[in-house]
Amino acid sequence: MILGVDGDDALVQQLEASGLWCGVAIERLATAPFGDPLLFRVHGYRLALRQSEAARVRVRETGA
Amino acid sequence: MSAVASPSRRVALVGRANAGKTSLLMHLTGSLQRPVNFPGSSVECVESDVVEQGVVLRIIDLPGLGSLSPQSRDESVALALLDGRDEAPPDLLCVVLDASKLAVELRLLQQLRARQRTIVVALCKVDVAAAEGFPVDAARLQAALGLPLVVVNGATGAGVATLRALLATAPLVAPPAMATDAGAEAVASVHRDGAAPQSRTDRIDAWLLHPVFGLLALVLLGVLMFQLLFTVATPVMESIESVQQWIGDGVRSLVGPGALQSFLVDGVVNGVGSSLVFVPQIALLIAFVTCVEASGYMARAVFLLDLLLRKVGLSGRSFVPLTSSFACAIPGIVASRILGNEQDRLATIAVAPLMSCSARLPVYVVLLAAFFPPHQAGLVLFGLYGLGIVMAALVATLLRKTVLRGVSSPLVMELPVYQRPRVRLVLAHTWLAVKAFLRTAGSVILVATVVVWALGYFPHPSAIHERYEAQRAVHGQDADGERARAALDGAEAAAYLEQSLLARAGRTIQPVFAPAGFDWRLTVGVLAAFPARELVVPTLGTLYSLGEVEVGDEPDVRLRDALRTATGPDGKPTIDGLVALAVMAFFALCSQCVGTLAAIRRETNSWRWPVFTFVYMTILAWVVAVAIYQVGRWLGYGA
Repeated sequence: MILGVDGDDALVQQLEASGLWCGVAIERLATAPFGDPLLFRVHGYRLALRQSEAARVRVRETGA
Repeated sequence: MSAVASPSRRVALVGRANAGKTSLLMHLTGSLQRPVNFPGSSVECVESDVVEQGVVLRIIDLPGLGSLSPQSRDESVALALLDGRDEAPPDLLCVVLDASKLAVELRLLQQLRARQRTIVVALCKVDVAAAEGFPVDAARLQAALGLPLVVVNGATGAGVATLRALLATAPLVAPPAMATDAGAEAVASVHRDGAAPQSRTDRIDAWLLHPVFGLLALVLLGVLMFQLLFTVATPVMESIESVQQWIGDGVRSLVGPGALQSFLVDGVVNGVGSSLVFVPQIALLIAFVTCVEASGYMARAVFLLDLLLRKVGLSGRSFVPLTSSFACAIPGIVASRILGNEQDRLATIAVAPLMSCSARLPVYVVLLAAFFPPHQAGLVLFGLYGLGIVMAALVATLLRKTVLRGVSSPLVMELPVYQRPRVRLVLAHTWLAVKAFLRTAGSVILVATVVVWALGYFPHPSAIHERYEAQRAVHGQDADGERARAALDGAEAAAYLEQSLLARAGRTIQPVFAPAGFDWRLTVGVLAAFPARELVVPTLGTLYSLGEVEVGDEPDVRLRDALRTATGPDGKPTIDGLVALAVMAFFALCSQCVGTLAAIRRETNSWRWPVFTFVYMTILAWVVAVAIYQVGRWLGYGA
């Protein structure tokens, strides 16, 4: 579950426009070869983020 | 707003990227009129009219929006139009929502609502949402939103007629106010609870995004694309060339020999033909890329390659324009619009022409066949493609460390659900790309060809003709005489070219290329190729005294032998394997295409980038050619 997105730059706006909001469930689906970028499922769709971008998103493990 | 009684309405088609606007527009207007090569790359907003119930609907297609704060050039354009910054704002917004990620889509809808403009909602991809395990109840959504809503199907066009009628008749009033959390309620009311089951897309991704099999599939796809381009397009290209020759012969028989005939045949027909000949490859490439894009795989390729491309200062998204550039840099440069970050985009545009395009292939083929045994030729060819890629990586890294400093744009990218590409969409995209190519590159190449023709034709002194006419008269009318006369015709053409302005320029500039081992004839070939590479084979053919060489008419064999046996004033062969290698490396790296430079000018909206690209590529090509020749000589290869 997403707890929040850190920072106040354009990236944060973009992440929020993509649906990374507080309290939303997010699930990691896949990792690209060599470990970056990462693929997530949020709001039922697939979103790719780089490690550096994903690091901005604070999450809490919920275990599903 | 006095537009209620007006016979025309301006409707802005608004939606996030990938929401399904392109398909919807095609069904709404009956045709696809966007001058784009790839979905999500339309920077210009194109208006198309359609009449519905006596009302002219002027539909403005906006580039995809992520939110109402612009992140890319596309989004800035969309917002400027939405707010009516340059002209009157649209009367009506047709907001296209993707049902498969409704929560995110509704956030944008809420922001648009606040602009107090009439809104009609088109709900797309309801079938995708159901397949992904999130079925949407459209009736309840409509009630929760309090806005007119139509479910449309981008594949079949179902619901589009209803939508069109609604756009023509909906009263132009601002949407009712609504609490900000009402969107969330609306989503909650339509979404079923519970985790999504494994969908078809998840199962395919397990293979295609696999660290090993995924990369393997990507390589296979690349090989398939090259095979398609070379095996399918080649016969079509050959038939275009034979038609071109047939027209040339026709003109020759209608117009007597002289400057006019030469202008029409060598200048105009060859000029038009040399651009037409690339249409099959461009069409195939665009069709292939549109299929890959529409199937949803393109985003996966970007995902797989992002890290690698980032290492050289580009972005995963650069993959699309760079791949296209292997066929032709022009569509590749246009496709670089999909890059959100301006630095990434400019770096991609600057290195795209280093990818060995299809116009370089004829040069490689002629020289490889003349100077390399078949088992080496393939390896050298691979090396030439590799040379371009390595240089592109170096140049991009250098650019990003100097003039294009700055952070890479973030990769916040949706991976869409896999879909079967729709034939109509693919055909429409292909046709648009071909049309754009014919209009822009075709005219530029034509003008450039005519200029090269004029430089190679004039001053054309009549003394040469008289001299050869006298020699021809000596030979009899039998077969031997015919052959001798044909040889003399070729020699005459070469004699004209030898004293032409182009040859004079070649001799003047030859010292520059001497360190690379080029003789004056190769130098002329290189000069003649600057407007367009495809001019080099006919020019070399004439220079090495074959008379007129037509590409495709078994000429390569004759040119091959002529290149091999050509000797300089000292009697030594002028070209050997080492010189051929230097020539090919020069062609691999040099910017010899006016069409590409014109495309760069258009896409960057300044002369700085085409001039920069031309200068750096020419210098790079010269340095590498000289290095190959000098190092080769030092190692004891060559004469």
